[in-house]
Amino acid sequence: MAKESYHGPLERVDDCCWRIPKSYKPGMRVDGLIFADDRLLEQIKGDQAPEQVANVAFLPGIQHASLAMPDIHWGYGFCIGGVCATDPNEGGVISPGGVGYDINCGVRLVRSNLFYRDVKQHIRPLVEELFRQVPTGVGKSGRYHFKAKELKHLLSEGSSFLVGRGLGTARDLEYTEAHGRLDGADPDAVSDRALKRGEDQCGTLGSGNHFLEVQIVDHVFDETAASAFGLEKDMVCVMIHSGSRGLGYQVCDDALMALRKAPEKYGIELPDRQLVCAPVYSPEGEHYIAAMRAAANFAWCNRQLLMQQAREVFATVFGRSWQELQMNLVYDVCHNIAKFEEHTVSGKRKKVWVHRKGATRAFPPGHPEMPQQYMKIGQPVIIPGDMGRASWVLTGQLGSMEKTFGTTCHGAGRAMSRTAALKDAAGRRIDKELLSRGVIAMAQSHKGLAEEQPKAYKNVDDVVDVVHRAGLSHKVARMRPIGVIKG
Amino acid sequence: MRMYETFEHTADLGLRIRAADLDTLFAEAAECMFSTVVEDLRTVEAKQRLEVQLPGEERELLLFDWLNELLYRLDTEHLLFCRFEVHVDEQGLHGSAWGEPLDRERHALSHEVKAITYHGLRVEREGDLWLAEVIVDI
Repeated sequence: MAKESYHGPLERVDDCCWRIPKSYKPGMRVDGLIFADDRLLEQIKGDQAPEQVANVAFLPGIQHASLAMPDIHWGYGFCIGGVCATDPNEGGVISPGGVGYDINCGVRLVRSNLFYRDVKQHIRPLVEELFRQVPTGVGKSGRYHFKAKELKHLLSEGSSFLVGRGLGTARDLEYTEAHGRLDGADPDAVSDRALKRGEDQCGTLGSGNHFLEVQIVDHVFDETAASAFGLEKDMVCVMIHSGSRGLGYQVCDDALMALRKAPEKYGIELPDRQLVCAPVYSPEGEHYIAAMRAAANFAWCNRQLLMQQAREVFATVFGRSWQELQMNLVYDVCHNIAKFEEHTVSGKRKKVWVHRKGATRAFPPGHPEMPQQYMKIGQPVIIPGDMGRASWVLTGQLGSMEKTFGTTCHGAGRAMSRTAALKDAAGRRIDKELLSRGVIAMAQSHKGLAEEQPKAYKNVDDVVDVVHRAGLSHKVARMRPIGVIKG
Repeated sequence: MRMYETFEHTADLGLRIRAADLDTLFAEAAECMFSTVVEDLRTVEAKQRLEVQLPGEERELLLFDWLNELLYRLDTEHLLFCRFEVHVDEQGLHGSAWGEPLDRERHALSHEVKAITYHGLRVEREGDLWLAEVIVDI
């Protein structure tokens, strides 16, 4: 299965949006819409991601359009960077592939009262201590072990379970998407294998594109929003990117297995086996939803514990408690998830299952689902970039509700495959190159670092530019990495 | 000469294996997967043995389940494997894997395989050889 370019139709809708008409393939129920400018579109056409956007349009009950963000790239069944909303009352389906293996992979941003000038002499010891204390990479047990019974509580209660044990504050919950807990999670829908994989992995970073970064607010684009989020130029922040670890991967795997025969059973025709799905209102669909919600709760707990460990390291290195350092959570967003939300479709209010696979919720000002303090500003959207250039803080805009079921992009998106990036890095020392750009990077795997090198990603600034211009979200601040730990 | 290689997939890795018979194909597939997990598979010693018995008729799904089982052991017991023997027949698969617990002092790791995927999964005849392709989620 080689990488091939897309040669199907792409019609220009406007400067930032392209249409794959539903006439492209018999079986498409709606159009495909890709948000990209001319330059990004050229890269997007380089693989089969647009074909996948068209394939998702086959799903029963799909509403409005099969959507893709400017950072899309080739995934399994669904492209990464895809959004699809289904109406259960119109036979709408739930698809584990539309959520991904890493259920509730997401990002959180923590601010502090430290500024670059306060830390620049301490960056190396800080990064070294983070690397020592925060478990990263393959086969590394976390500091926290949960027995089966505790784990089940954690899966149904989400982050509040940890706060109840002193591993966080009530404020942390308020500043987490869905308060760090999806209702309707059923730990009994999670297999023993998944529970076993999750036993010692809560509070571990993992590997691949996951990271923990020390960042500086590099440039503020919107002073009012930045100030509401507690951000100022040159402020030191921590960004954490991780998900539900082995537990979530196993839940996805179990669901793909359980659903192998569901399309046939429910008479659903699919152009790709990885799109397997079941009606929301079916025993198979309900079982997956209950397990997926439990895995999502695990992921929030994972990021909560990663944050706690980072807070403790800062306290050790700077000799003040994290409360004194005002290391408050700005926000936590997920970018691999399916949620039952209310939206307007063709002028009608209805509840739909929004699948966000590598896409971030971006609710506009006034939406009830965000902290009171952000209500006038909009929900913070955290976009991790690559480890050499930048990451972004955006805010949700009205356009997202009109066009994308309240959704925006989730990252830079890969420009090079892992193999190509590795070849490209042959004979180079990525950690030294990063150092010359002012970034101290520590990783368990040199190969991993090479595959994750900045050049392997599209420029996140270009991606953010499109979602900003398309009115899906609005630029608040650009973040620059100074320390990175990875698996 | 190794009869396996990795191939490109934008965000992840493809494993491509060729072998004269199905048994070797399945053994080489496991070795190929662990060679993406560990920097140098020669650093892993065959100290303990794991027996795997899997029912099934469809070859693709059997390969999927076999790799998945090994991955599960890596994730939960932190076991690395370096040598494999597999027998595949109409009823299913019987496999043995030899390896040892992960020791970060001796084993340099390169990738965490999150999952085996169904995307582009194939096991088929290619002339005189068997060919398998599997994309793993990194």
